[in-house]
Amino acid sequence: MFSLIENEVIKMISKKRLMFVFAILVVLITIFAYGQNQSLAKTKAQLSQRMGVTATDDWRKLADQQIITIKNRLDSPYMDEKSKSSSRVRMEQLQYNLDNNINPLEQSAAKFTTKFMEQAIFLFLPLLIIMLSSDMVSGESSNGTIKLLLVRNVPRWKILLSKYLTLMVLEVIVVFFSFVASAIISGFFFGFGGWFAPVATGFKVLAGQLDSTGVRNVPQWQYSLMVYSLAYFVAFVVGSISFMISVLVKSTAASIGIIMSTLVAGNFISFFLSDWKITRYMFMVNLRLTDYLSGSFQPIEGMNMVFSIYVLLGWAIASIIISFVYFTKQDILV
Amino acid sequence: MQQTPVLELINLKKSIKGKEIVKGVTLTLYPSQIFGFLGPNGAGKTTTIRMIVGLITPTEGSVTICGHSVAHDFVKALSNIGCIIESPDMYNYLTGMENLLQFAAMDKRITQQRIKDVVEMVGLQHRVNDRAHTYSLGMRQRLGIAQAIMSKPKLLILDEPTNGLDPAGMTEFRQLIRTLAYEEGMSVFVSSHLLMEIQQMCDVVSIIKQGSVITTANVQDILHDDKIEWQLNHPEKAIALLSEHWAINAVQLKKNTISADINQHPLDKINECFIKEGLALTYCSAKQSTLEDLFLELTEGDEIV
Repeated sequence: MFSLIENEVIKMISKKRLMFVFAILVVLITIFAYGQNQSLAKTKAQLSQRMGVTATDDWRKLADQQIITIKNRLDSPYMDEKSKSSSRVRMEQLQYNLDNNINPLEQSAAKFTTKFMEQAIFLFLPLLIIMLSSDMVSGESSNGTIKLLLVRNVPRWKILLSKYLTLMVLEVIVVFFSFVASAIISGFFFGFGGWFAPVATGFKVLAGQLDSTGVRNVPQWQYSLMVYSLAYFVAFVVGSISFMISVLVKSTAASIGIIMSTLVAGNFISFFLSDWKITRYMFMVNLRLTDYLSGSFQPIEGMNMVFSIYVLLGWAIASIIISFVYFTKQDILV
Repeated sequence: MQQTPVLELINLKKSIKGKEIVKGVTLTLYPSQIFGFLGPNGAGKTTTIRMIVGLITPTEGSVTICGHSVAHDFVKALSNIGCIIESPDMYNYLTGMENLLQFAAMDKRITQQRIKDVVEMVGLQHRVNDRAHTYSLGMRQRLGIAQAIMSKPKLLILDEPTNGLDPAGMTEFRQLIRTLAYEEGMSVFVSSHLLMEIQQMCDVVSIIKQGSVITTANVQDILHDDKIEWQLNHPEKAIALLSEHWAINAVQLKKNTISADINQHPLDKINECFIKEGLALTYCSAKQSTLEDLFLELTEGDEIV
């Protein structure tokens, strides 16, 4: 089994596919980080113009003021539990900034790394995974090598399993690489710190409303870890689905086309989400898992982290089963 | 004593989308035979071969390789097979050697030494470290054979192996197969629509037409009836001599040419007699009836269905 996986890895490396994915990641992260840097500079300039203060110097005063306001509000008896907890979380963050002398306007490598994956998780990361997975099986069919592969004294399921396991390893590598690459590249722009700054999480949806009762702060590194774990889960799901398509379709072009158009379609299908219930069972609209962490999603009744994870898991398992059943039974006619 | 057949097909049938492509093929192949599988395009040769190697599941019937059923004991059955199905497709982005290593990694029996030997056997040692997309068709064939014989299979299966090769390449290829079969003691199952190829390579031939085997016979048996042609100055006298001494009926073909079926009679004695009798013998040749005659006879008047 190990030698079969080794074979697949050699093929993947010789095809230069993995290097290509890495190159895309490095280029894109660099552009993103540069862009962030530019817009940050612009914001600072605007702020100092508008408020007559240099944002870099006077942020402490502002934070002090904000904390006092929040404290006053918390003492007020008219405040409900919900706004209390979110205010408390906000106060903690401000206090941390003061204690550690962090200007909230400044970016940090940790913040950027997290933000990057939050933006990449629903389209960019899946596309990278598709680049790797979509021709794993269909590529062998379209160039005819599948005939050589399946007439060895190795059962078919083993061959497919070796390919699938290879894909899972590659998914880990890609997600890990994007973490390392964005942490390092953005570090050059924004400094390498920020891993212990508090980040708010724990939002819930109750009765169609964003509920922040359970909100609390976690350190940035822990938050990043959660984001990248979810990213791996998304990579695993998209990888499995595109792997299945690669098994079912004989041509690489068709295989890439199908999965890409599905993904892109998902972006505007989510538009119908609230009134067309069936769409929430599609995998494409459930990919924005990180939004559940940051509370930045459109609250929709019935959709939450657990729901999305179950839907995605269902798709992945179904894809794996279909892939194996079809692959072991099919007649090879190419 | 009956040997275990290397390959046994029993009533093999395959229907694809309701059309019966192979209609009950039964064949037996014994050790160290070179078996030709002859038929026009679309006769079901490739489908049959794909069923043998397990790429296609038969609708009915069974394939047994060295006593192991392909359907029930795939791994053991396939351990005895090496094959090229149609064109020898390789990973173009890998070198010849890397290609071989890919397939060698799938079978624990193959050693580094064996890979080296095989490369030399097929004469690819100078180019084996070049990428496969730089190879000519002939070299791809060689690489294809190398991967097929790496595991020392008992049965080598070649599907239309010389398709696309030029005549020199074909001759070279046939030579290679002959040598391999002899040196490695393999049985070879070769399909082709080229008559000459089968005639020159094979011991036994099966002719398939529209999905059924019409006849199976030793190539030598089919080609037994040797006709001899002589060119000499007095054909009438020669004809008389032949019927007088050996009771052979000869016919005059052209002005100075006669032809006769001499059966088991020694040709040298006949010629000696001619010369003794003062005939000037200018030319003498044996003309074999070819497989082509038989093939055309059997497949006469068929259209591709």
